Amino acid sequence: MDHAHSESHPHVNYLFVFLALCVCTALSVIFDVVEMSPSLLVFAVLAVAVAKASFVMTYFMHLKFEGRWKFIILMPTAILGVGLMVALAPDIAMHYYDYDVMQSQVDPPEHGHDAGHGTHAVEETTEAHH
Amino acid sequence: MSHTSHPPAMKMGLPISDAKLGMWLFLGTEIMFFTAFIGTYIVLYFGSVDANGVSAWPKDTDVTHIKIWAGGLNTFILLTSSYFVVVAHEAMSQKNFAKARKFLWFTFILACVFLSVKGIEYRGKISHEILPGKVAETEEQAIQKMSSDIEYRYYNELAATVPNIAITDVDGDGTADRDFPTDQAMINYQRSAALPQLVANSEGEQKEEYAALLALDGKVASLREMISANKLTYAQAGTLLHDMTEDEDYGSILSGLHLAHPILYGNLFASTYFLMTGFHAIHVIVGMILFAMALAQGSNLNENWSNWVENAGLYWHFVDLVWIFLFPLLYIIPGNI
Repeated sequence: MDHAHSESHPHVNYLFVFLALCVCTALSVIFDVVEMSPSLLVFAVLAVAVAKASFVMTYFMHLKFEGRWKFIILMPTAILGVGLMVALAPDIAMHYYDYDVMQSQVDPPEHGHDAGHGTHAVEETTEAHH
Repeated sequence: MSHTSHPPAMKMGLPISDAKLGMWLFLGTEIMFFTAFIGTYIVLYFGSVDANGVSAWPKDTDVTHIKIWAGGLNTFILLTSSYFVVVAHEAMSQKNFAKARKFLWFTFILACVFLSVKGIEYRGKISHEILPGKVAETEEQAIQKMSSDIEYRYYNELAATVPNIAITDVDGDGTADRDFPTDQAMINYQRSAALPQLVANSEGEQKEEYAALLALDGKVASLREMISANKLTYAQAGTLLHDMTEDEDYGSILSGLHLAHPILYGNLFASTYFLMTGFHAIHVIVGMILFAMALAQGSNLNENWSNWVENAGLYWHFVDLVWIFLFPLLYIIPGNI
């Protein structure tokens, strides 16, 4: 049984997988340094992360060589995990109203001067910082 | 009774060991555990808007004290340790237990290095008070924080300087006439109320010390009044604090205080940051315990531990996986948008 089990694992060059993972990490750092549009950066960096994750799961965690039980165990939790994010998004991340009607109280109205406008405050007060 | 033709026993369940099935089921729940945190972070990131409806999540790495180099280094450390676990597991199945032990040690040491780098990052956050509930989000809050920092220093200095007898001795005959108050606000009040008398009755250095505290007491009272009357602007507060820390009498009591830089949604940022990285660090520690138990076998490590090393490895790869996503989401993307 044990013998058959180990036979079902074709030999993987783990060092090669590790080097691929290092290259991916280097790519992330390069994306950090090189100037590019924010949406491209988000896409590129997350694509690299997904590639790294799939390398680790496929080879280091041997999922490539496991039976179909892997889908039964992992699909429900993956779906529920993504579902949670989708379920949270409408209530918190999306906004249904005009911004004249604040959903979250950023600026306490009873305090007169321009509190709450974070960027504005930052510009004005850099000299007071440190 | 003779069984000449024995039917093969029916194998129920999955073609993997129970331990491995258990580990995978556990990792399934772990996927949900971490996607809940990461999902919450992403959703709050978009939900935390300024008055114009644009995400005002703190992103500037100078403000959040996020160190991209530290995240990158830790990514590399975890990837390397994952590789070492694979090598250790392979050595276990080849019955080369000395090699397995060596690589388990390497993994364990790298886990320590990971936690050290994490510790350096946490220390930076703590020293800049990027902590849940500690961040001033608006100018008013920054002024309030400044005022409470000043009062904290002032009352600490009062407690260290004013003797208890100065409160309990009312008629000045050197014996206690009333009980020491139990309420902290009352203690602070009575200590500062005793200051004029102490200044009058003391001499030399002691007198100067009491006089400095008395001067600071006046400043603290007027500061409190200005704040409650909403008369102090952020810029004025900065100048006021600067003048107070430069004061030759009581400036030393307030040394190092500064007016906080308001960070909108800074507390939410700190909460999500510490929740995600903190739970990840706890997982790292648990992984270290798993490896330590195999390493504790010393030279007795044998094939009975093969399953253990395999399952600990699976767990460790999962810890690596979580970091693979935390690195871009917490470090690279916010630092570049």
